[in-house]
Amino acid sequence: MRLRVWYIGLCLGLLACLMGSLFIGPTSIPFRTVLDGLFGRGDADIITIAQEVRLPRALLAAIIGAGLGASGAALQGFTRNPLAAPGLLGFSACAAFGAVIALYFGLDHLVTPAAIGLSLFGAIAMTAFSRRRPGAAGLVLAGIGIGALATALTGLIMNLAPNPWALSELVYWLMGSLKNADLPDVYLSGSLTLIGLTFLLICSPALRVLGLGEDTAQSLGISINRTQLLLVAGCALCIGAGVAVAGAIGFVGLFVPHILRFLTGPDEAHLIPLSALGGAVFLVLIDMLIRATSGPGTPLYLGIITSLIGVPFFLWLAWREM
Amino acid sequence: MTLTLKNISVAYGDKTVLHDISAEAETGQLIVIVGPNGSGKSSLLKAITGLLPFKGQTNLPQTRAARSRALAYLAQDATAPDGRLVRDIIALGRTPHIGRLGKRTESDQKIIHDSLLRCDILDFADRPFGSLSGGEKMRVHLARSFATQAPLLLADEPITALDPYYQLAVMDALKAYAADGRTVIAALHDLTLAQKYADRIWVLKDGRLIQNGTADKALDAKTLAHVFRIRPDGSRL
Repeated sequence: MRLRVWYIGLCLGLLACLMGSLFIGPTSIPFRTVLDGLFGRGDADIITIAQEVRLPRALLAAIIGAGLGASGAALQGFTRNPLAAPGLLGFSACAAFGAVIALYFGLDHLVTPAAIGLSLFGAIAMTAFSRRRPGAAGLVLAGIGIGALATALTGLIMNLAPNPWALSELVYWLMGSLKNADLPDVYLSGSLTLIGLTFLLICSPALRVLGLGEDTAQSLGISINRTQLLLVAGCALCIGAGVAVAGAIGFVGLFVPHILRFLTGPDEAHLIPLSALGGAVFLVLIDMLIRATSGPGTPLYLGIITSLIGVPFFLWLAWREM
Repeated sequence: MTLTLKNISVAYGDKTVLHDISAEAETGQLIVIVGPNGSGKSSLLKAITGLLPFKGQTNLPQTRAARSRALAYLAQDATAPDGRLVRDIIALGRTPHIGRLGKRTESDQKIIHDSLLRCDILDFADRPFGSLSGGEKMRVHLARSFATQAPLLLADEPITALDPYYQLAVMDALKAYAADGRTVIAALHDLTLAQKYADRIWVLKDGRLIQNGTADKALDAKTLAHVFRIRPDGSRL
């Protein structure tokens, strides 16, 4: 009953945030006019702003937030460690490395496939490395190692940047932003995230049993190998799809599941879908905040604001739990 | 069920930790495995459960799903998320029967309730796991393993964390579970309780089954001296 209230609340919250998000932007437009523009009615400029600028941006924030939130919840459930997050386990670092390679060689149109490709490659490498001992310990070791390698290689590419302008482009990209969001990004990121979320939802009941420890879970019929494969593939798709279109956005995958676990209880079968909804709400809200506060010359970056807002809240919760 | 083990051997890399274990555990019996630290008690239970690769044969089902219904396993270091409620943890014992997505039927609820009663933990069924003491946590996991209602129960040192009262209570519960027409195999360190409760005792030393018999025969003076380096009066050799 209590969980149902959370599901309904978060769904309504997401809907309200998406609607609100359409209303916010550098051009002040009445809500009714934006809605008309969304359905192709009224002024051509308004239609363009509503359909090609604000809608894709709002949807992408929701899609990426959902992917990051669900991935974080799944990783924390599998490793039984509340500190596990997409950033810690190297998924984001691999995706960012792929995107930075494409940017370095001036292949801007290949940023998306490169980020997704490297994220999946990282997932395959983690799976191969932890094959000797499938399970949380193996995955964490492999993930941290591969993530550190990807971060070092990203640093090397930035080190080798031919000029300050190229370096600043890489740095700004890594800070995460939705300012270039368009509808093709929504289709691509949305469909990959949907597949990733499906994988994570399939393995979520197994994660609930895994909370009892790997030996006990296996004795109850859970396959660690199958669960790990679904989890790693799901996370790679969700995180790769997000990083590919918006850069590295940290902390959402760590603190959204943490807060929801605190509020709704430690049941992974519910925590994954709830964290997807919570992540979506959070990222749409943060993007609204960024749009409302950014001046034309001083764009704020999503990755920075998510951390700046998330960290104090996270520390407050951690302090309460101590 | 009658469990048959034929030439079970387990190796970690080059090191063989169990050598050619052959034995039978009959329906209705409580078998207690005893042996010094490192003698292979946990490895044998894990091999039977399917957690360790082994050479040899058992008469247990080969598929994971069927095996999870045929046996329940109580791990030595059983854990659960701190915030999870006791009742929900015990309900997970029904996973092999209702699947990961299945809804609990009335019969599942009754089995969960019976398991709470068997382990004397009904009072804290709705408390979070993290609020319990070590002994209470072990009893929760015992109830969870009872809830599977498997014909074979394997318990790895189920009474180590318990006070004397609950050591006896848990041994009584294991004995009663076996008496219901099931088979229980428990690894213990307490030889007195092993002698008091076991229908048969398996004595392991250095990965070999060196005694398999009733309590008085399996733990005779010679075995106590050879395996445990103690005298029948409990003093050290």
